[in-house]
Amino acid sequence: MSSNRVKTRETKSGEIIAYSESAVRQNLINVEYVKTSLASLAGCTAGILGLTGLLGFIFYLVSLLGFFGLLIVKTGSNWQKYFISRKSLLTNGFLGGLCTYTLFWTFIYGMVHVY
Amino acid sequence: MADNYEEMSCSEAKELLRKWRDDNERRSDEVVQIFDYCLADKVKKLGSERLIVLEQVFVAALDCGRIKLAEDCVRVLISEFPESLRIMKLKAMLLEALERYDDALDVLESIINKDETNAAARKRKIAILKAKGQISDAIRELCDYLRKFMSDQEAWHELCNLYMMEGDYSKAAFCMEEVLLHNPFSHLIHQRMGDIRYTMGGQDNIEIAKSYYAQAVKLNANNLRALYGLYLCCGHIVNSKAPVNKRKEAQKLSTWALKKISEITNDKLPRSTKSSKNSNQSNDIAALEAAFGNLDAKLN
Amino acid sequence: MAELLIDPNIRGWVFLPIVVITFLVGIIRHYVSNLISSTKKIELTQLQDSQAMIRARLLRENGKYLTPQSFAMRRHFFNNEESGYFKTQKRPPVTPNSSAMLTDLVKGNFINVLPMVVIGGWINWMFSGFVTTKVPFPLTLRFKPMLQRGVELQSLDASWVSSASWYFLNVFGLRNIYTLVLGENNAADQTQSMQDQMSLNAAGQMPQDPKQAFKNEWEALEITEYKNALHNVCDDLLVSVSEPMTNNIHH
Repeated sequence: MSSNRVKTRETKSGEIIAYSESAVRQNLINVEYVKTSLASLAGCTAGILGLTGLLGFIFYLVSLLGFFGLLIVKTGSNWQKYFISRKSLLTNGFLGGLCTYTLFWTFIYGMVHVY
Repeated sequence: MADNYEEMSCSEAKELLRKWRDDNERRSDEVVQIFDYCLADKVKKLGSERLIVLEQVFVAALDCGRIKLAEDCVRVLISEFPESLRIMKLKAMLLEALERYDDALDVLESIINKDETNAAARKRKIAILKAKGQISDAIRELCDYLRKFMSDQEAWHELCNLYMMEGDYSKAAFCMEEVLLHNPFSHLIHQRMGDIRYTMGGQDNIEIAKSYYAQAVKLNANNLRALYGLYLCCGHIVNSKAPVNKRKEAQKLSTWALKKISEITNDKLPRSTKSSKNSNQSNDIAALEAAFGNLDAKLN
Repeated sequence: MAELLIDPNIRGWVFLPIVVITFLVGIIRHYVSNLISSTKKIELTQLQDSQAMIRARLLRENGKYLTPQSFAMRRHFFNNEESGYFKTQKRPPVTPNSSAMLTDLVKGNFINVLPMVVIGGWINWMFSGFVTTKVPFPLTLRFKPMLQRGVELQSLDASWVSSASWYFLNVFGLRNIYTLVLGENNAADQTQSMQDQMSLNAAGQMPQDPKQAFKNEWEALEITEYKNALHNVCDDLLVSVSEPMTNNIHH
């Protein structure tokens, strides 16, 4: 029973929308999963391509934006059905992702280009 | 999903059982069937999930009255964990199913002695009292339980049902309010509140019932029972000695509710001849009955 | 591209092993902590208190759906001066010196701090003094002591990384990968568990001092203003008669 907890959000018009909390949390966990995979894959790609300096960071931002774009295309106009806030999808776990990205980037770059 | 469980492979069956476990679905019939067809001779192959599957099958077997199967399951589990409180609870459930209530109570008592925070064992004790028909004892025990585990909404719900069995509606309303605090957005709970208040009767309670029904309708516009309850409440208010403006409002609301009800029922039964008023009414009744049956299944 | 030529053997025998070791140690930590963690014994009174707190919080949040009498009745139960729950229940503050807490602390140290020190020290000793790799972005001199631990060379560019620092980079960077591999709430992530240790409140259902918590909840409940949410429902419905109703529950 407790899995049916409800979370609410008030829209601008003052209407209250109820969400199933466990479902929303599950969605966010999945997004987090995809984001970590994305960060590590993008890091590998950047390492293999041999991107250095600012280019590498721009690549991370671009891949993140690309993912966000894909997500928007997939959810379509009814994204509010699945997520409470669209902006948090983009910003959540940004630094953690960056950490992973940098590690993989450095790792693959070191493997391929330094030696 | 195919109904023929015979053709299911072992891994598919495992997958399905895990899904039901995670979603807290009981589905006892299906679980036992799957076990019979796919898993019975391959229990050893289940690997790390073997014991938890056995627990699931055990409960399902009790539900279906397959005492023999349940005994087999619990024997394996006991040999694996002779000391575990969780297994002891299963043993108590088996005793309960065999109607050896005193033995079951002894086992549960020993669980509680070992771990006094074990809520499941306490609840089982209350279930035994209820099964024996000692409703007032069950209520007393449950009150005692709720004094300690105050935010157990399942228990509040059960207490509400017990009070309703006893006809003590004001206390039932109190319990339902507690459930409502946990689920403020469930139209079924609001509608239940309305039911209880309406049954209690009296001008004030009918007013309260009206607003609960209205909230239920607001949360789910297709809740037939709430619509009908709203209609009845408004009808009651119209015929009462309430102030004129209130009566007027109630009149408006009741016509709206009635319109809504007939809309829904006509949607559901498109074959009905809309011109004939008689058949319309019988349709209303049929649809209402369907809704009531639905509701009972959902609430219990 | 690299102005420094590094022996490829370093890649095979230092660079890669450090990554693999850090990763595997994380996995092992996860399973070891699963193995030796004990379910915390909770006192009945503690459980009762936390449940009462939940109930009071729900009353504050959702009390608006009750009738005025019901709300007042519940608030009375919690807050009444003479007989209220938060007033009469006197709990001694939980002493953190109980033996169960102590074993927990020792266990936590055993899983978290010990491997960190042992593995870190071992790596430092085993692979000391190697320049392993270069980060692909320029860094200022400020980062030199951080990234070049164990290699004190004045003239080396700041973006080169020593073996010891490479280990620490791995420790922090692999955090998200553990969630990927082991699922949520794993114990492999030592930085996370160290944070938990700092606050000393890991997995505690109940704050350390129930008396203080009761007082806070009492205050919060006291200032909660009752506002009946069902008051205008009928009017709302009448207003919406003209416009079509929409089902606004999302699952």
